[in-house]
Amino acid sequence: MRVIPILIEAGITGFESPAAEYKELGLSLDQLLITHPNATFIGLASGHSMQDIGIFDRDLLIVDRAEPVNQGDVIVANFNGCFVCKIIDKVNRQLLSASNAFPPVLLTSNDEFQIEGVVTRSIRIHKATRELLACLR
Amino acid sequence: MFALVDAVAFYASAEKVFDPSLRKKPVVVLTNNDGCICAVCPIARQLNIPKFLPYFQVKDYLAQHQVVIRSSNYELYADLSERMMNVIAEFGDDHHVYSIDEAFLQFSGYQYCIKDWMEYGQRIRQRVWRETKLPVGVGFGSTATLAKAANHAAKKLSGFTGVAIINTESNRKAILTRMAVTDVWGVGRRLGKRLNLIGIDNAWQLAQQPSKRMRQQFGVVMERVVAELNGEACLEWDEVPQIKKEIFSTRSFGERINDYQALRSALMNHGATVARKLRKQRSLAKQLLIFASSSVHQEPYYKKSLVHQFTVATANTQTFAEAIERALTVIYQPNVQFYKCGIGAIELMSGQFYQGDLFNQHDENEPLMRCIDGINQRFGQDTLYSASQQMRTNWHMKRAFLSPHYTTRWQDVPKIQC
Repeated sequence: MRVIPILIEAGITGFESPAAEYKELGLSLDQLLITHPNATFIGLASGHSMQDIGIFDRDLLIVDRAEPVNQGDVIVANFNGCFVCKIIDKVNRQLLSASNAFPPVLLTSNDEFQIEGVVTRSIRIHKATRELLACLR
Repeated sequence: MFALVDAVAFYASAEKVFDPSLRKKPVVVLTNNDGCICAVCPIARQLNIPKFLPYFQVKDYLAQHQVVIRSSNYELYADLSERMMNVIAEFGDDHHVYSIDEAFLQFSGYQYCIKDWMEYGQRIRQRVWRETKLPVGVGFGSTATLAKAANHAAKKLSGFTGVAIINTESNRKAILTRMAVTDVWGVGRRLGKRLNLIGIDNAWQLAQQPSKRMRQQFGVVMERVVAELNGEACLEWDEVPQIKKEIFSTRSFGERINDYQALRSALMNHGATVARKLRKQRSLAKQLLIFASSSVHQEPYYKKSLVHQFTVATANTQTFAEAIERALTVIYQPNVQFYKCGIGAIELMSGQFYQGDLFNQHDENEPLMRCIDGINQRFGQDTLYSASQQMRTNWHMKRAFLSPHYTTRWQDVPKIQC
């Protein structure tokens, strides 16, 4: 024997919204800002050395590990066990800052150095919400 | 051709992804409650740290060698695992996730476009490393079992750099003779002992056995293992990840407990976990095993377990809670120092094809369960829980060396020096 588990309803249901057919998925910032989701992580900028290209203290950085690294790209690297955000100068093997107050750092064979990814976007928070405040802690 | 790709010491490697200060340090990861070592990174492996030893036994040795210790950060591992699997999936159209850190690829028709499997394997390794910063090993073989064996060789045997292939008679013999029989996929420790008794010590010897005899002595599974070792593919994808026939959630307490409420909420939590897992694989439980015990190392040892039989098979957290509540009155004893407890769903049935009963209507409350599961998936485990679970911390998982949830919590995103 089979019991059909459907409730019988009575009542006035009204017309379906005429706009229902036109519904699309909403815009997603992820889709716009993240090209390689599996290879991307989000970090928090800390410090002032990249100010002149518009990366300020406590901005969010979108770091893409799949993106090819070109001369002059803004990158995140593992520099002696620390994540740093700098401009890569492959030709002269150095890390450049975007502020005159910070001199270039020459990479030597004694340094632990590894490129982690390219900073593809940075996000400036003008008005923080609760979630964003948590991340800026 | 098949490939098995898996991460090297996955948990330990995952700890290094967002903490570059650990990249060149020895790292070990502890199991639930920081009980045992469950992952040892390659650098730490050189210190001869044995896996699955209780942490307290090696504590001093680890400290002496400045080994970095981490609690299991499941939130981080789950996220990294998903990323790794997605990258691996791009290398073949038939991709099968086998566990949190290993995935199979099956290639049919690829012989025209892939000439050099060794080079292809290195490409997989490089891509996964670059995009996720997780080191992986790759094994190729003409069957899934041989791919698994090649993977073992790639990581464990000398002379391989992360990739190994078994596709000729000579490399098959070379690798299988160097593998213990217990390293063969599907041969457990107990089965291994029985094989050792009749003189079969390595994988090559096992492959040489007549399949009929193996079937008679060890059953059909062993017959298949032997066939697979000889290059005859007989495992189907849908057989590989069999739906679990039993689901358990058990754990020892961070510290011993003896009050009723604490034991109750611990069991309720295990019940909720089991119910959630059942719903995920669309199963229902006919029987529930409910147990609690003191430590075996302490006199007097106490253990009590009950089996609850449901009239109608269920995966409803509330129904589980009622059964646990009733069992508790029997299990709980006021003067016992409880060390461990757990819940197991031991007789499962398919939720999709369940035959109902006219007089015992089942009360699954599916919309509510779906809602709870949905909210917890979206906002994190235990965002919603039943009152009887009473999330108190004294019995909760001990994770004293937990790293941040870099990829799943905003307050934990890694800091980058500018």
